[in-house]
Amino acid sequence: MPPLVDVRNVTVDYRLKAGGVHTVFKELSLTIQQGEFVCVVGETGCGKSTLLKLLLGSEHPTRGTILINGTPVLQPDRDRGYVPQKYSLFPDKTVLQNIAFGPISEASRPFCFLRPQWWRQRKQVYADALQYMRHVGLSDRDARKYPDQISGGMQQRVAIAQSLMLKPKILLMDESFSALDPNTRRAMQRLLRSIWAENKTTIVFVTHNLSEAVYLGTRVLQITQNGKLNCSEVSLDLLVPDYVRDAKGNPRQDEIDRIIREIDLPVAEPATPSEMVEVAS
Amino acid sequence: MLLLTKRFLAFFLISLALSAAASAQQPSFTVAWSIYVGWDPYQYMAKTGLLRKWGAKYGVTIKAQRFDYAPSIDAFTAKNVDACAMTNMEALDLPAASGVDTTAIIVGDYSNGNDALLVRDTNTLGSLASKKVLLVQKTVSEYLLERAYVLNHADDLLRKVKLVNTSDSSIVAAFLNDSSQAGVVTWKPLVSQIRQSKGVTTLFDSSKIPGEILDLLVVRTEVLNRPDGSGQKFAKAITGAWYEMMDEMSGADADKVLSGIAAVSEDTLPSYKEQLSTTKLFYKPSEAYAFTTAPAMKEKLGLVRQFCFSHGLLGANIRSADDLAILYPDGSVQGKGDRVRFRINASYMQLAAKGQL
Amino acid sequence: MFRVFAQPNRQLAWIASWTLFAIGICVYLRTAQVRHIENPEDHIVPTVKQLVTGFVHSASTPAEEDDEGQLGEHPSVWQRIYGSMLWKDTAASGKRFLISIALMFPAVLLGLHMGAFPWIGRFFIKFVLFFDKIIALSVLPILFIAFGIGEFAKIMLIVIGVAPTIILDSFNLTKSVPTEQVIKGFTLGAGDLCVAYHVILPQIWPRVLNSIRLNLKGIVLFLFAGEMIASQDGLAYRIALLQRHMGMDLIIPYVLWTALLLFVVDLTLKVIIRATNPWFREV
Repeated sequence: MPPLVDVRNVTVDYRLKAGGVHTVFKELSLTIQQGEFVCVVGETGCGKSTLLKLLLGSEHPTRGTILINGTPVLQPDRDRGYVPQKYSLFPDKTVLQNIAFGPISEASRPFCFLRPQWWRQRKQVYADALQYMRHVGLSDRDARKYPDQISGGMQQRVAIAQSLMLKPKILLMDESFSALDPNTRRAMQRLLRSIWAENKTTIVFVTHNLSEAVYLGTRVLQITQNGKLNCSEVSLDLLVPDYVRDAKGNPRQDEIDRIIREIDLPVAEPATPSEMVEVAS
Repeated sequence: MLLLTKRFLAFFLISLALSAAASAQQPSFTVAWSIYVGWDPYQYMAKTGLLRKWGAKYGVTIKAQRFDYAPSIDAFTAKNVDACAMTNMEALDLPAASGVDTTAIIVGDYSNGNDALLVRDTNTLGSLASKKVLLVQKTVSEYLLERAYVLNHADDLLRKVKLVNTSDSSIVAAFLNDSSQAGVVTWKPLVSQIRQSKGVTTLFDSSKIPGEILDLLVVRTEVLNRPDGSGQKFAKAITGAWYEMMDEMSGADADKVLSGIAAVSEDTLPSYKEQLSTTKLFYKPSEAYAFTTAPAMKEKLGLVRQFCFSHGLLGANIRSADDLAILYPDGSVQGKGDRVRFRINASYMQLAAKGQL
Repeated sequence: MFRVFAQPNRQLAWIASWTLFAIGICVYLRTAQVRHIENPEDHIVPTVKQLVTGFVHSASTPAEEDDEGQLGEHPSVWQRIYGSMLWKDTAASGKRFLISIALMFPAVLLGLHMGAFPWIGRFFIKFVLFFDKIIALSVLPILFIAFGIGEFAKIMLIVIGVAPTIILDSFNLTKSVPTEQVIKGFTLGAGDLCVAYHVILPQIWPRVLNSIRLNLKGIVLFLFAGEMIASQDGLAYRIALLQRHMGMDLIIPYVLWTALLLFVVDLTLKVIIRATNPWFREV
């Protein structure tokens, strides 16, 4: 089976204002299989967000290609869901309108409101949206609230529901839980795990918090800075420390959970380099 | 050489101190004037020392200050200046109607073609009906337009003309650039600018109503009647200076003087002369005196007063034109005797005519 | 008393906020009184009685250029007001004002497209920036050539004077919408126009309305300038006419009336912004 995401020999250069070129990725290759939950960790400025933007299609590689489901990425599209850290919801729409936005905008055509069929369709979309809203743990009375009337955790719940409505092939999350308080964050992590377990949606989750990555992901990609403050050389590694592997080398879930308990409360933010666990390839 | 310079410097400083001391004691009067063919001489009089010379003769200091026209009248009404050059119509509807008793001491000229009604693609007053005419409303321009219709016995057609109140600063561009405007009423030098354009003809001008649009020098009556007599001295001085100026303008060196006047108002000699040709300037005080004391004066000023009243320019509390009475040189009063607000005093022109200044 | 953390109590705060009004009115009344002792016919600083008379006169009698007889024999109060000079001028100015406001909306849409679509933005932005710096009043003769001196020219003067500001404002507001929102729109299946009209426009809409609201004064300023240059009716036409013979007893009521109207329009816009954008809490 071909990989869902196929990043081939991608190089990203930024032209600097002061002159010269800053290379973020050099000849980066990477594949992600259907159903994986990949967490990307790394220090601030190392390029983990850039990787996500490449997958989204809002930024383009200088050289190389990125294929999703065999098709080159051109621009953000409906086969990829997106949950950013901030501005994840449309502030002018209610919770329910936000969740329903995808199917509604999909179905909208000029003057579609003239057709009774459209109104039936619309009614159905809102009914579905309500189901999704309940599914991510919001009560019915939140439906008419505006994003700034609900807490940050609630907002991200809505954002996840909103992204899931169109059943994307891959969910791209950029520090989605980083602005939340520890307890909310834990709850959200559990929610995301259960959603992933249920739907088997492929997820790429960018975070600077290693424990979060270890807890959530089936695979953790680390982008190192190679000891320097540039990311010219990138190594992507399967990151599970030795002490959380059993004798056969498989990750031990109980040990991971223990780490999460210890490290995550209180959550250390952002991760400092000493917290990062380097693993030789 | 050094000694000479020193002596000169000392002399200069002393004379400066003396003149400062003298002017500190002397009562001082300010004449407000604005750019207009009949008033431009005031600045020239100040520049060439005529005002200083005549002021010294009567022991007063006279200053000439240039304003825009409307602000000059505002300054006069607000009692910030003592004398002001303005037309008979403005003298009636601004200071006099605001209760500032005003006396005209010099009748300098009358408009003899300076104000004109110009039209495009037509040559009768009747055809202007239901068309637009640009003008600065409630001024001499509207008066001229009304007189044009009255004199042609077409009063009823006047109501049908659509008047567009247009600022004088943009009236030329507005008329020339928008050919849907049928007519314009304005004054020189704007008239000359418009007339150069093709297809524009003069339908009526102020030469057909001679002596109705007068250019005056007015003084506040309370200034003129100051108990110390300085107001009268000022009036004599300024009248004397004015007629000496008139002599120069009509004398042998006229061209030199006229180009000097034109330069002061940033105009050229030909342009200034062209404007003078449609202005009936009274060069001789005897002419001015005769004109002012003639019986026709009352009739013409009466027309202007009636116009001001019927257009509400005399204020809301004036019930009849006679509430703003005019005192004439012969002592007769036009209007209610207890409501004299505007006076015409020909005695200074008379003194000048007799050579007694 | 002058501390940052001072907490003015209610009564004193009320008194404080009206003090300047009281002082202004007192100074005015005193000046009027003094001037009228000196000269009972003074027009420049009319007394309260003159002001009231002036206002009642302007609100109950036809303009001087209109026919007195148009009202009939015994007009009712409403007929009188409807036929009055004040109403005539207000209606004339109001019409121009509302048309100009309506013409601000295409400007908003242009700004939106410039901000959302880079090519449209590049095409217009330099020109609009340049145009924004042109003082419309200084190119009057060009306006006369292009638009004549009728109603159209007056409205164009306002549009040329204010529209660039509105265009730039909605352009900048569009630009300031976070990229996340735009990306989000595309990942949710929206197309280019859908993102522009369903994601960006609703977000900038209340701010754009607010920007129009803040530019009301500019609009009225250009409206008055246009009416003072050449017109046959309107609030500024009347003020310009009256200025010529210092009819302050009518000018002051007209100025206060204009201020009141502007205040009401401002308040109405505020209420509309709040009512139609319940999520927006900045106005």
